[in-house]
Amino acid sequence: MFTSNPFAEISASIAPSVMQAYIVLMIVLVAAGTIFDILHKKSAQYFRANMQKSKAKGAKVSGGEILSIAIKTAVVDVAASGEFCNMRRRIAHLLGMYGFIFFALSTAMMIFCYPTRDIATPAIWPQLWWLGAAMICVGGYWFWFFIRVDVAAEGGSPFRLMKADLFILSLLGSATFALLWGYLQAKGHAWTMIAFWLHVVFTTILFGSVPWSKFAHMFFKPAAAFEKRLSKANGTRANLPAPADVPEKFSKGSHMPRNY
Amino acid sequence: MPTFVYMTRCDGCGHCVDICPSDIMHIDKTYRRAFNIEPNMCWECYSCVKACPQNAIDVRGYADFAPLGHSVRVLREPEKGTISWKVKFRNGHEKDFVSPIRTTDWGSIPSPAELPPPSEEDFKSQILAHEPDALNIKGSLPVLARDRLKKGVI
Amino acid sequence: MGLFSRKKTHFVDADVLVIGGGMAGCGATYEARHWGRDLKIVCVEKANIERSGAVAQGLYAINCYMGMQWDENQPEDHVRYARNDLMGLVREDLGYDIARHVDATVHKFEEWGLPIMRDPKTGRYQREGKWQIMIHGESYKPIVAEAARKAATEVYNRIMVTHLLMDTKKKKRVAGAVGFNVRTGDFYVFRAKAVIVAAGGASHIYKPRSVGEGMGRTWYAPWSSASAYALPIEVGAKMTQMENRIVLTRFKDGYGPVGAYFLHLKTYTQNAYGEEYESRWYENTKALVGDYVDRHPVPTCLRNHAFLEEVKAGRGPIRMVTKEAFQDPHKETVGW
Repeated sequence: MFTSNPFAEISASIAPSVMQAYIVLMIVLVAAGTIFDILHKKSAQYFRANMQKSKAKGAKVSGGEILSIAIKTAVVDVAASGEFCNMRRRIAHLLGMYGFIFFALSTAMMIFCYPTRDIATPAIWPQLWWLGAAMICVGGYWFWFFIRVDVAAEGGSPFRLMKADLFILSLLGSATFALLWGYLQAKGHAWTMIAFWLHVVFTTILFGSVPWSKFAHMFFKPAAAFEKRLSKANGTRANLPAPADVPEKFSKGSHMPRNY
Repeated sequence: MPTFVYMTRCDGCGHCVDICPSDIMHIDKTYRRAFNIEPNMCWECYSCVKACPQNAIDVRGYADFAPLGHSVRVLREPEKGTISWKVKFRNGHEKDFVSPIRTTDWGSIPSPAELPPPSEEDFKSQILAHEPDALNIKGSLPVLARDRLKKGVI
Repeated sequence: MGLFSRKKTHFVDADVLVIGGGMAGCGATYEARHWGRDLKIVCVEKANIERSGAVAQGLYAINCYMGMQWDENQPEDHVRYARNDLMGLVREDLGYDIARHVDATVHKFEEWGLPIMRDPKTGRYQREGKWQIMIHGESYKPIVAEAARKAATEVYNRIMVTHLLMDTKKKKRVAGAVGFNVRTGDFYVFRAKAVIVAAGGASHIYKPRSVGEGMGRTWYAPWSSASAYALPIEVGAKMTQMENRIVLTRFKDGYGPVGAYFLHLKTYTQNAYGEEYESRWYENTKALVGDYVDRHPVPTCLRNHAFLEEVKAGRGPIRMVTKEAFQDPHKETVGW
């Protein structure tokens, strides 16, 4: 079950070219949705204006430093979800993010490179596909039922739906029905195709809803993280005070505030 | 001066929702980011500002009459026992303040149940917890005597 | 309400129920544990006790400290001061009782870790007025809340108590309280042997002239919804000292009650024409109240009377002159 290419199994009823066209369509939808989102919310303009403001006020930052900030942003904030202060959220996000990358990558590989049963699929791709979907489900359901803040701090029901849930729910639906489909297919169950089509529906919602979901956070969150690091390097810190330089604990009540 | 949230900085963790005494910091239903639902009931107490791990909450001037272009931002570092403020005026003038917030370790206060219990006599007296020792005076808790108060107004 | 959410009713039994988790509620919880070691003590708060009540944002001074250990003031001095300031409308026994216990409380705060400033020369607490001492009070409430959390058996956050419950068998005995969770809407019934109401006062009975976003510009916390009055009044409790209302204004760009600016930033007020106006109403006020107007300090209500008469006479608005206040950097240190 974990080593067979699920897309090759159904290539008899759905032509590989149709599946390939679908993938291309999804990529186009994401690109178009993101560009629309950036233009509509003026996020690129916002970041550019902020960056210029910070540049005008702050100290000069050398090109080398900017490069190191960019690398730090990519490694710490993007690859390791460093922007989350809460460890539970960070782990859930890492599971979801890498799960999604494995899942999407293996899906594309299997559909484009090994579309039919005639070409043997290396075992790594189906395994990655299963692992990715499972990671999305673990991280996603953890987030959905336990971490979502309207549940934890606002005391809402874990089942309450709102627009902010569009992204996480369509992602979870896509991964859940992918797992179900793979399982039913391996068993040769009659409902295999129902699970498959539900998987397609949720995937389409996921990639088609970019302007309405927070899917676009993939594009503006790194920008925000980069900007935060840059503002620390050039001393502007978005007007925040620098961390206090008091290595020792304040002793008993004898300190007057320090004014500069 | 009500609070507002930098949407790109907020990650929707809900610390502000948890702490706001006015119950006006909530999570937006579309973007899952915090926002101030009722700026006119904001006391600018800065509880949410200090609680935000991302420093994503700031405080602005009133929309109707406060001058714009100033900034009052704060960094609370409980592990160091300090609070730092940066005040920026419209003319670019800046002031920095650092003050202690606590001289003991967080969580170090003992429950009164861990301290010696009051005696039988204490229950019959007028003293409150830890008195008369905590008063730091010689003698016992002052008691109102009939002749002590009416000696003029001041 | 959501499809799957069902409102629940929770029953909580306790020996001592403290309603309100502000400074008073936290203090009552702590005190209750001192005397009742094995009791179940429950504190109920409509926000989060870490930052709730009127001290949520911290304070820069403790406004009442006798300093009995250095014989700075005695409780009876405080009673005389309050009697004068409120022109006799004061329960002296209550004022005396608060005054004689306050020093012990302040010493406890310092022991718990509240940074209190000291006069570098004398080593005593730094005074900013006859009664006030200066503190670094940013974490005033979190420190006191920590003591209360250690003392309480259970703390219920985000529960708004709306009514007190009366004992059906014993007349005139309060047997508990009911309230609801402001987030989930769950209904809570607290049954207790003793109930302490330590809820907050009332904001916005007298509204500021500011409109819109300026509404929150009251000195007293805008979330204080008068539970301290409503809960006991509804079950027929006798209220005392209700003659005195304190309506503290906050002025544009300022962050304290006006009195703090008068007191240690040495600001002063002028009418719209830049004139000093208090002396103009001296005779008028004297005819009204007699020699109270000659007392020092002049009762606060009489200074406010002059203010109101000046506005009525068409020479308002009254302006607070602050331009001389911050010339001395030391004043900034003390004032902020």
